[in-house]
Amino acid sequence: MVQYSAVEMIAYTGSRVLKDNKTVFVGTGLPMIAAMHAQLTHAPALGMIFEAGALSPRLDGGMPLSVGDTRACQKSCYLKGLGAVFELTQRGHADYAFIGGAQIDMYGNVNSTFEGGNYAEPRTRFPGSGGAGAMAANCEKTIIIMVLEKRRFVDKLDFLTSIGFGDGSPDYREKAGVLGSGPYRVITHEALFGFDEKNRRMTLLEVAPGKRPEQIQEKVSFALQVSADLREMKAPGEKDLRLLREACDPEGYFLARKVK
Amino acid sequence: MEAKVRSKINGVSKLKGNEIDKASGRAFEWWGPSPEAARSIMVNKSKALKDKRANLRAAVNKYIADGVTIGIGGFVNTRVPVAIVHEIIRKGAQDISLCFQSNSICAELLAGAMLLYPEHLSIKRVELAWWGYEVIGIAPLLRQLASSGTIQFDDYTNYGMAARFKAAAMGLEFLPVRDHGGSDMEQVNRGKMMASPFTGKNTYLVPACYPHVGILHVTAADKYGNCRIFGPHCTCPEIAMAATHSIVTAEQIISNACIRTFPNLTEIPYTAVDAVIEQPLGAYPGICYGYYWFDMAHIQLFRRAADELRKSGNPDPLKKYYEEFIFGCETADDFLNKIPPDTLAKIKQLDGNQPVIVN
Repeated sequence: MVQYSAVEMIAYTGSRVLKDNKTVFVGTGLPMIAAMHAQLTHAPALGMIFEAGALSPRLDGGMPLSVGDTRACQKSCYLKGLGAVFELTQRGHADYAFIGGAQIDMYGNVNSTFEGGNYAEPRTRFPGSGGAGAMAANCEKTIIIMVLEKRRFVDKLDFLTSIGFGDGSPDYREKAGVLGSGPYRVITHEALFGFDEKNRRMTLLEVAPGKRPEQIQEKVSFALQVSADLREMKAPGEKDLRLLREACDPEGYFLARKVK
Repeated sequence: MEAKVRSKINGVSKLKGNEIDKASGRAFEWWGPSPEAARSIMVNKSKALKDKRANLRAAVNKYIADGVTIGIGGFVNTRVPVAIVHEIIRKGAQDISLCFQSNSICAELLAGAMLLYPEHLSIKRVELAWWGYEVIGIAPLLRQLASSGTIQFDDYTNYGMAARFKAAAMGLEFLPVRDHGGSDMEQVNRGKMMASPFTGKNTYLVPACYPHVGILHVTAADKYGNCRIFGPHCTCPEIAMAATHSIVTAEQIISNACIRTFPNLTEIPYTAVDAVIEQPLGAYPGICYGYYWFDMAHIQLFRRAADELRKSGNPDPLKKYYEEFIFGCETADDFLNKIPPDTLAKIKQLDGNQPVIVN
């Protein structure tokens, strides 16, 4: 059997959920790697949007280390600024968003602002929304990458930075004035989640090889729904790992990292 | 009082009433000049095509004063106005407000100055979307300052800050946007949910952001201040147009004839610029498309010193950084002369020779 790391499983799964002929608004790190892998395999016509202002650059200069990196802009089809690319999201040009955060709840709302204490005097201040709050609002489908830990999959967020389905009510997003359809997938190295169409709750779709749903539930604070069609997560094959390690992140900036 | 238009965030939010400024009914206040004051300053400025080339120290002394709101250009490590920030730190100022989208080293340099030399420089509040280093890690000095509760934050998304500068560039009070609603930013920031006057649908409005001073680093400018930007624009044109005064450093000064040959390439017009300084490597250790990539090792050197202050309380490595690279320098060139030439050669090579039009 081919050996792969937790981070490689996340990047590969991120690639797998992206369809061809779409655009994806990517952040630094695993989202870029997932989109690069998708372009090199099943989605050659996938376009990437980088928030400093670029649409569909060619990444042959190497993996960008920042969304404003020269490498994220060179040979792009359209290069303006932040206003221009976020206006693309409001107008429906961005099919997927990849976001991350410190906490997520059962309706796919995400916190990346602070944890503990209060807003004025937080115990741990995080970087803030950045693009995430806008991407989760207006890219059509939001894909969230998280580490599967009980302290991150919480009942209630300390701060709701990126909108998901809010309190789960059918008109939550409409009342918020946002346009995207909301959370689509949550990717961890041990499980892939989707959201129930009827009640908008997080639902276990796939588990990593050798894992049982109860083991996933142990790492989640709220009650998980389990899909009637529960499947095993597809593991990256030899060719996928070669692409990830040699073509996407050869210097191991992100793929060499460990997940707890 | 009229019934408030809101999303359904109340049903999800963990924030308590006293955390929510707007719940306390605090009246709206412009942190920089009002739209009318900003317009009046612009109306009363000379619009002459005059030579605005300046000495960086003189420009900073002229426009940076206690209590000003400073709009910082660039994005994270990209075209960040480091040379101008060094000069602001050398000068010092009290109770400044900062507004930016996403920033790394400029925000951290100012935060570090406040932590080490509070009597020399202090930040009162920050309007922002994001503060960190991306691949290099979290911003230690932000974390330290925030947890002490000494500065006030006003959080938006990156688009929210872009729209706020854009609103000011347009001379407006606000712009409607499709984000913030339904998040806790609706609870804590200074935007407001309103019913659309056309359809009645909930629409979030963000207040314009008019900085007193915009600080920017651009690809090229002529001596009158007409600026060209290659690579991502970030929100530099909007910040320059929003601010009542702008200080611009440029990789190179180009001729006005060149500007007039390709007027479509001018991203900031001369009327929006007050001082222009030719400063090659003015964004170092950040990136400038077409000229140089970022110097990760130097950013890490600074970040490590900052992290030591946060983790162990030892200010010495960070003080050493400021003493060597900021207070130990008279000018930006003095700072750049302390960087090994082979490092500068390497970051220039890492740019990959991106094409720019400067002649």
